[in-house]
Amino acid sequence: MENKPKLKLAVYWGAACGGCCVSVLDVHEALFDVIAAADLVFWPIALDFKYKDVEAMPDKHIDITLFNGAVRNSENENMARLLRQKSNILIAYGSCAHMGGIPGLANMYDKASLFRRVYIESESTVNENGTLPQPRYEVPEGVLTIPEFYNDVRTLDQVVPVDYYLPGCPPQTERLVEVFMAVVKGEALPPPGSVVGAREKTLCEECDRKKSDNKVIKKIYRPWEIYDDGETCFLEQGVICLGPATRGGCGARCIKGNSPCRGCYGPPSESIDPGAKMMSALATMIDAKEPEEVEKILEDLADPSGTFYRCSIPASLLRRKMIT
Amino acid sequence: MEEVKIGVYVCWCGTNIAKMVDVEEVAKEIGKYPNVVIARDYKYMCSDPGQELIINDIKKLGLNRVVVSACSPRIHELTFRKALEKAGLNPYLFEMANIREQDSWVHTDRVEATRKAKDLVRAALHKVLFHEPLSERTVEINPATLVIGGGIAGMSAALEIAGAGKKVYLVEKMESLGGMMARLDLTFPGLESARDNLQLTVARVMKDPNIEVYTNTVIRDIFGYVGNFECIISPNFKEDISLQFGNVVVATGLKTFDPSVIPEYKYGQLPDIYTSHEFEGMLTSGRIVRKDGRPPENVAIIHCVGSRNRNYHEYCSRVCCMTALKYANQLRSALPEANIFEIYADMRAMGKGCEELYSLSSRRKIMFLMFDQQGPLPVIRKAGSRDKCDYLITLQEKLSGQDIEVPADMVILMVGTEAREDAKEVAHQVGISMCGNAFFIEKHPKLDPVATTTNGVYIVGSCQGPKDIPDSISQARAAAARILGTIAQGSVTVEVTTANVNEELCCGCQTCIKVCPYTAISFKEEEKVSFVNEILCKGCGTCGSACPTGAITCRHFTDRQLINQIEGLMRMDVEPELKEV
Amino acid sequence: MEFQPKIIAFLCNWCSYTGADLAGTSRIKYAPNIRVIRVMCSGRVDPTFVLKSFTEGADGVLICGCHPGDCHYHEGNYKCLRRYHLLVKYIEQMGIRPERLRLEWVSASEGKIFAEIVNEMVQTVKALGPSEVKTVVETLT
Repeated sequence: MENKPKLKLAVYWGAACGGCCVSVLDVHEALFDVIAAADLVFWPIALDFKYKDVEAMPDKHIDITLFNGAVRNSENENMARLLRQKSNILIAYGSCAHMGGIPGLANMYDKASLFRRVYIESESTVNENGTLPQPRYEVPEGVLTIPEFYNDVRTLDQVVPVDYYLPGCPPQTERLVEVFMAVVKGEALPPPGSVVGAREKTLCEECDRKKSDNKVIKKIYRPWEIYDDGETCFLEQGVICLGPATRGGCGARCIKGNSPCRGCYGPPSESIDPGAKMMSALATMIDAKEPEEVEKILEDLADPSGTFYRCSIPASLLRRKMIT
Repeated sequence: MEEVKIGVYVCWCGTNIAKMVDVEEVAKEIGKYPNVVIARDYKYMCSDPGQELIINDIKKLGLNRVVVSACSPRIHELTFRKALEKAGLNPYLFEMANIREQDSWVHTDRVEATRKAKDLVRAALHKVLFHEPLSERTVEINPATLVIGGGIAGMSAALEIAGAGKKVYLVEKMESLGGMMARLDLTFPGLESARDNLQLTVARVMKDPNIEVYTNTVIRDIFGYVGNFECIISPNFKEDISLQFGNVVVATGLKTFDPSVIPEYKYGQLPDIYTSHEFEGMLTSGRIVRKDGRPPENVAIIHCVGSRNRNYHEYCSRVCCMTALKYANQLRSALPEANIFEIYADMRAMGKGCEELYSLSSRRKIMFLMFDQQGPLPVIRKAGSRDKCDYLITLQEKLSGQDIEVPADMVILMVGTEAREDAKEVAHQVGISMCGNAFFIEKHPKLDPVATTTNGVYIVGSCQGPKDIPDSISQARAAAARILGTIAQGSVTVEVTTANVNEELCCGCQTCIKVCPYTAISFKEEEKVSFVNEILCKGCGTCGSACPTGAITCRHFTDRQLINQIEGLMRMDVEPELKEV
Repeated sequence: MEFQPKIIAFLCNWCSYTGADLAGTSRIKYAPNIRVIRVMCSGRVDPTFVLKSFTEGADGVLICGCHPGDCHYHEGNYKCLRRYHLLVKYIEQMGIRPERLRLEWVSASEGKIFAEIVNEMVQTVKALGPSEVKTVVETLT
């Protein structure tokens, strides 16, 4: 291994919470293996490199870039394009880059209403002049610029071509290490566009809860509304769990913590929409034949979009709420 | 990998299509698509020369996909599939675009109709790209038959099948055979003895060496599929026996309506108010008397009790009117001086000899009084001490328009019929469906009234709907003929456009299991994946849309095929993708 | 020129598709804006197909199945009913007018009713104007 040149690794965050970067740090002792095999050439959260350092790199200089975070503003987009150009392999790392993630929930609003809420209406804001962020602002000393906030949140692959997706909110660190070590060892890579670090099968396969064919929903419950026995499939207790429609690979972390799956690992390969299959499955389970009964049961499902597309609105077929 | 070569054929259907759709333009436009090797329009695609055209093109041009744009696939899909087969191409590599029933015949603007035709053909083109060859399967038929229910319908079916030398297992829940007919005295309209006819039939059944009779027996479970069913029965509620058979006749009959839910009739509250079936017992015993032993001087017969009334059952129970006339005639003979009142809502005397019975009855001093079924029902009350009768029935007489009181010492309620309480259980056991009134649903109300949508399961007699004896027997014998037909064939073809589980994707959530109305899906505990028994599967595709993982593929209607079809409909400018065969 | 909507209809083979065929054999005229996709049962209609129809530019989606209790496959139409109600709730939340998605029961003998439903839906969708979904999705790509 010593003879091999070290891999050049970059980690970048777009619209993200930072959790993905922490998941990279979570490699713990494996960090030594990673550092033995790779040089970190860019990682704003941890190392002091500047954008100009990246701009100065020759094309395809970086072997692997882990891009986490969604594309929410012009900075995210410019960096996505720059890193695409400079990287051999661009990995959409984590739910936000993969499917829009939690920032993607903002696609239920438009820019104007988001600004109004955040900069004018929010309870802790005093903004008597109604000043809103401007990408460009002239002051006596010169021109100030900040990135332009877009109307929509986009996934990484809606901006630049992506080689692989490593899903999760955040991705399970072990999966990252597996993928990384596979690259280091020169193993054959899956075809571009593949999801790596997640299973083909959905979560139920690795979930320890008891499952039966008794998937009949008479009432939909929020998790806190039931006395969870800790053993029975959430769906069989009337709690919406996205496990059946979400790739495995996370080790059923949420379920082990007695919380149903929220779908951060995204849909399996056959689904062209991240939420539709689970909506269909769940609706099928409803135990009612009359429209009124069905509606009554669905009353307890206040937010279908936030339930079935919590991490994936920008990657869904509809992409966003239609606001015209 | 083989290149996709599609042949597209646009039919004129004489002028049926060509008048409203510019078929030449459709063919010309579709011919521009990259995988379309040939696009023709022709006068009658379904004709022999039309089919020859396709067959020759398949052979000469090496087509491996065919789209015919013509009438409804419900009419000619099979015709063209056969043509493909003749040419040596798998018949499922075919798709039809319906530009007659759903285009040229329903639109009036030629430009719009032509545009629609292009969209529909383009959609078919996009779909057929993803079609896969499918092969038909046949299963062998076990020549034995299970008949559930030992009434007149079940026995008739059993005798017919056994008469052809085939084994029959006849299972009856009660202690003896006969069903509802065993409770009858005389039959209408000829007033013959029901018992004599029934006993004759029972004796034939008991003597037939090909019929194994199990009375006092419940069926615990039925599994399997057409040709290869198996059931577990418990004769006399003791040890379990397993039976194997290829077809099932369901002849579970019906039950009578309980009139105590109708407050106006005070059934169960006043002593001399009888249901028709209780009265039938009185007739059999030969003594028509009140509870206190005196013969009645006034007898009222009330029709449509529980039938033809939105509060109870909306349907007509079919046999009560004629049974009521039968009673009136029997009463007239037994009690020559008594007043007999037929209180009816509508006299339904349909069927051979029935109208004649009605006119005969009207000449025998029987009073016919009509009430409005939509209005308030007649009300029975106890008569006063000065009245010369036990009860008084008040009603709005429809023909005279007057409110009248009818004296009665005995009231016979012509109770309707309804599905048995265990109908749902039976339906579930054999995998058939029930209508809103819990009667079993036939495969086609007109064209296939004895088969069901479950292959190998037939419904006969009044479990399918209220019926008289001759109709029950006709249906039973029709089912027997159908069964004997399949036995003679030795095998049946089963659905090929079935669902199938990709075990690489199935996560074992078991959402699909209960979705299947045919219990075709089971769970393999060891592998932790679902499994479709494709012989039981009817190809509805509901499991495919219920599957959250995409592991279930519905052959010939796959997600990929349908999504591509949607794209084809909407994207005028997109060329279909190439795909390996 | 008047806006001509495109409506995708998913019809079950046994009742609704046959009913639509009957409208044809009875020569009942209706608006040409409908494009039919045949499925064996309304229970096959995956919400994905409906959403895909909208993103491909359909101005309306019509699903037709057998009347309750009359499903050729026993209960597929009930599964469809449940999915429909959830889908309506979802698309409404996503800013798509719920009138753009319609579920109707059409039996094999209801050719006339099918034609009426189509005409009615075309009118409704015409009044709503073109669906914004395709445009919105395209500006995002």
